[in-house]
Amino acid sequence: MTATTTLSVNGQAVSASVEPRTHLADFLRESLNLTATHIGCEHGVCGACTLFVEGRPVRSCLTFAVSCGGADVRTIEGLQDDPVMARLRAAFTAHHALQCGYCTPGMLATAYDIVTRLPGADEARIREELAGNLCRCTGYAGIVEAIRDVLAQGPHAHEFAQLARTAPSGAKAPALAAVAAPESSLPQQSASADEEIVGGVTLSRSVTVQASQERLWSIISDPMTVAKCFPGAKVDSVSPEGLVAGSFTVTIGAVSARFAGRGKVAFDGVAKSGMVSGMGDDGASRSRAQGKVAFSTAAEGADASLLVVDITYKIIGPLAQFARARLIAEIVDRLLKLFANNVQLLAEGKDVSIETGGFGLSMLLGAMVAALRRALFRE
Amino acid sequence: MKPAPFAYHIASTADAAAAALARAEGRAKPMAGGQSLGPMLNLRLARPELLVDLSNTPDLQGAQVEDDAIVYGACVTHAQIEDCVVPDPTPGWLSAAARHIAYRAVRNRGTIGGSLAHADPAADWVNIMMALGSSVLVAGPGGARAIAASQFMTGSYTTALAPDEIIAGLRILRRTPDARWGYWKFCRKAGDFAQASASVLVDAQRGDICILIGAIETTPAFLSDPEEILAGRRSIRDAVAQALPGRGDEGLGLHVAAVTRALAIARGERD
Repeated sequence: MTATTTLSVNGQAVSASVEPRTHLADFLRESLNLTATHIGCEHGVCGACTLFVEGRPVRSCLTFAVSCGGADVRTIEGLQDDPVMARLRAAFTAHHALQCGYCTPGMLATAYDIVTRLPGADEARIREELAGNLCRCTGYAGIVEAIRDVLAQGPHAHEFAQLARTAPSGAKAPALAAVAAPESSLPQQSASADEEIVGGVTLSRSVTVQASQERLWSIISDPMTVAKCFPGAKVDSVSPEGLVAGSFTVTIGAVSARFAGRGKVAFDGVAKSGMVSGMGDDGASRSRAQGKVAFSTAAEGADASLLVVDITYKIIGPLAQFARARLIAEIVDRLLKLFANNVQLLAEGKDVSIETGGFGLSMLLGAMVAALRRALFRE
Repeated sequence: MKPAPFAYHIASTADAAAAALARAEGRAKPMAGGQSLGPMLNLRLARPELLVDLSNTPDLQGAQVEDDAIVYGACVTHAQIEDCVVPDPTPGWLSAAARHIAYRAVRNRGTIGGSLAHADPAADWVNIMMALGSSVLVAGPGGARAIAASQFMTGSYTTALAPDEIIAGLRILRRTPDARWGYWKFCRKAGDFAQASASVLVDAQRGDICILIGAIETTPAFLSDPEEILAGRRSIRDAVAQALPGRGDEGLGLHVAAVTRALAIARGERD
């Protein structure tokens, strides 16, 4: 589906039909052939796509074209005759402030903002303001020198209008939920759950449940019941040999994913302990989580017992580089608390409460959340 | 690196946004500045069926002046706070903090409401709004309600908001120049996420004293007995260790440094 957006690009009125998911940089490059705006990381880190909306620098990869209705957009092409930009171009040339030129449009946009907004900026402030634009060629020295040079020629007036944003008139909101999100396809294959977890991280936790050890054991020795206590967990089948097939649906913040896989459950009814191991794949992130949970119970008097859990996990695939142990530990702790609450409710003969939002037990969950923040900016 | 397809709705009012979210039954996401959700969409980690754009919603903009507080609309941007385009209820504390959030190009679109709703444990406003005793004003089909900032974030990236609720604004109490304040964060690089952050507030007039540590991978934590710490009778390390159990010296060091420096700023010993 598409929506019509009307905006001003370099002083020219433009009306175009765009998909809502098209970001401004793609719209300018693909629809208007304005290729001076470069696309680097596409998640707001590198600064190559920086341009002006309403006279202020923004990341065009984090700005949807459809949200720019009525806005004034300026790209490097539109500043060809701008006197401040002319001084910046001359200074960039004189100080060798570029080599390959990929970062340069974004650097010039940020430099324009610095020389017009911060007339008294010293070198430290220039470097601080440039922190959001990455250059892999110059080592920044030439860029900083060029900006200092232009600042010394100042003060510079912002040569194009910094308009107050006007609400788009007559913008038609697309019908609610007109587009169904595609079903994510999950890999069919699943590796053996028995594989040794080489290089895994282990977390040890214990929770007290106000129930006798017998009662606790009767609850946690049934995989279906255990799954019921973990919001987001779903067990499809349990074979007599202890092979489990199921999935975890995970929703945290804006992220929702479903990890499907197979596992193995083994119980030791005498020691009242057990082991769950499994592996799950997430099609969307092309990543895999491998985990092993050893659990045991101990009596703490007649009416209380201790559940001891040792979790070993490993993440393989694109998300692995983002996994941070402490963040995962926080999520595991929150999950165990929910789990313990639900076990407690069952022990008291009540039904379990499943929190809305389907917060589930995937180690990948932590990895995904961590993945976001490394890459991402705050709102 | 292109988002999965979604439908798009420009919300004309806060209530209309909440109604649109309610109709979508959890398959929609509200977006203010889009500086956190945007990357998640581009990376396809978030795949909402519908995006409800709040960035131009008139009743989420600007600031309202009250006797005892200033209410910021949820879509007030970091840059507007940095530039004092909206009145600062504090003696310049918010403006100074805003300047060091991410980068100017991000601050021009990123909003204070969006930052709180995203609930990144390392975010500046999450820490500062808690320390200043602010209230989060929420709009939803069930009517408006206010949640104390300290009750709002319930864990990493998790808040007390229902799926069909949005943040309408922030009520931030006024502070006089007699009050002392320090905020310090450690970042590997200017504009990067904080690895440790701390707020110190001593407002004798209101009787508010607190020391809050952030960027701890969960909701920021208040240190116990802040008066004793301020008086130098309680060690910062002990207080931080109590708030972050199970972390060795290595894990505590940055947080202890953050508190030490925020205290020094509050005492006027350093900028």
